[in-house]
Formats: sequence, structure tokens, C-alpha cells
Amino acid sequence: MKAQREFHVGDTFRLERTCDRYRPIYYAAASGDFNPIHIDPEVARMGGLPGNILQGMCTMAWLADACGAYFDDPGRLRRLRARFSRPVLVNDVVTFEGRCVAVEGPVVRVEVSARNQKGEEVLKGASAEALVG
Amino acid sequence: MAIDRRHVGRRYGPYRYAVGEEKIADFAVAAAGGTPGRVFGAASRALAHPFHLDGEQARTSPHGSIIAPPMFAVAFAMQPFSDACADPALGLDLLHLVHGEQEFVWHGVIRPGDVMETVGEVAEAYSKGPLDFLVVKTTSTDQRGRVVVEGTWTAVIRG
Repeated sequence: MKAQREFHVGDTFRLERTCDRYRPIYYAAASGDFNPIHIDPEVARMGGLPGNILQGMCTMAWLADACGAYFDDPGRLRRLRARFSRPVLVNDVVTFEGRCVAVEGPVVRVEVSARNQKGEEVLKGASAEALVG
Repeated sequence: MAIDRRHVGRRYGPYRYAVGEEKIADFAVAAAGGTPGRVFGAASRALAHPFHLDGEQARTSPHGSIIAPPMFAVAFAMQPFSDACADPALGLDLLHLVHGEQEFVWHGVIRPGDVMETVGEVAEAYSKGPLDFLVVKTTSTDQRGRVVVEGTWTAVIRG
């Protein structure tokens, strides 16, 4: 496993995930979040959305996976935050690009951008903190 | 209708949740792009991080056993938030409600066999222009009484 001394400010990492047609349903099954706006396009359209949208918590799980891979152990994650600035729709491809912004002893902090295939931000202010020591 | 500040302090829970190995695997697989379950999805389990699946890598990891993906906390910690969103007393329009912002703080890892108890409380309720905001804070404690994860959940309701 990656040691504390191997984390440096300026390190970068990247992860791409696709919201295929079944992702909101699979995520609903795994998480228990069956809010109809995530699984029924008709209900979502009644709410003024273009179609059923991915659970924000799934986008955040992708964010956690991106950070966990950089931290070299998902169990090291201690803090994660994000604002959901734009819904993730079926067939969207989300690219997470992260950068290490601080290493303070065993605490490593990263900031992450998340954009869809059109370059639009789906998350704002996404950041994570890990304990690597 | 503007959200009413008098809901601040309203409490939900405690809710009990027993963490299971298969649920952990399903969550890790679904997030990683696979199909949860043991029926059509079994082959895609390999997409998940090995620390979340039964096997040599989980047993010999620094955690010494399977651990849940940190975001698995959603499976139990979201209940006070979803209950608040659907609470008739708050009267929120669920069709126009989206999850606006989220923060988690973890104090440790979650393992199969853990029994989590989650409580939540409405921390803020306010309007900004045509939007209403509801903020719920949750605390999830394990069977040993240790706080494992804290969540701050923000819903945005378009008026």
C-alpha cells in the first residue's frame, strides 16, 4: 500500500464512469434509493427534468471511488463533500479529475472536478480528505 | 410555499441497520459499473475493489476483513433525510425536490456484521429566491457505541 511519503501536492488522478440506462436502477437496488425520479422517466418529466436522473449519491460514490483509488485504499477516506450542480442523465459519461492540494502529516486533501461529455460540471466544490498514516 | 423554519430541530430515528456482506458487494459492484446480485450479475463482481469482496485481498488487507465502500453509508444513513423529505408535516413537493449538496465524515470503516443505528435532525430550513433548502444532519453509531459516520444532507426544492 502507498506510504504517507508517496503523496505529494500536485499529484493528479482521473476516473471515468458511464451512466448506462440501467445504472440508476442498479444503484437503487444497491442503496435502497428508489425515488421514482431516478427510475421512471415519466415521473421525472412531470417534475420538469429531461428524463430520469442518476442518484446524486451514485455520482458521489464514483467520486469516492476516484479518490479511494488515489489514496490506494477506500478505507482511508475520512471526509467527502460535493454540490450537485447539474443532474447526471442516462448515457452521460462523467470524468473525474482530481488533484492533491495538501499533505499535512498523515492527512491528504484533494479537490476534484466532475464533468459530463459536454464538459459541463456535474459537481462543484468536490473535495476529499484521507488519513494515510 | 416557503419552507417553515419551525421544522428546525425536528428529529428522525433511531433506525437500526444490520450490515451484510452481500449488500456491501452489491453496492460496490453497482457503483463500479456492474450488475448487483447473484443471478445475471455475478461475473461483474470482479469490477468492485477487492477489499469489498470476500477473498484473499480483503483478508490480508490492513483492515483484516471485508470493508464496505465508504459511500455504502447511504444504505443506512439516508433514512432520516428521506423521511424528512417525505414527512407530511414538512409538506415538501417531492417531484421538485433534488439532492443539492452532501458531506460525509467517517471516523472508521464499516464491516459486515456491524449494526448501525442512525438518528437525524433538521439542522436548517430556509428559502433563497424561488428555492427552498432543507438541511438534515445524521449520526450513525455502531454496536460498540462508536460514531462511524456523520452526514450533512441538503435538499433543494424548486418552487
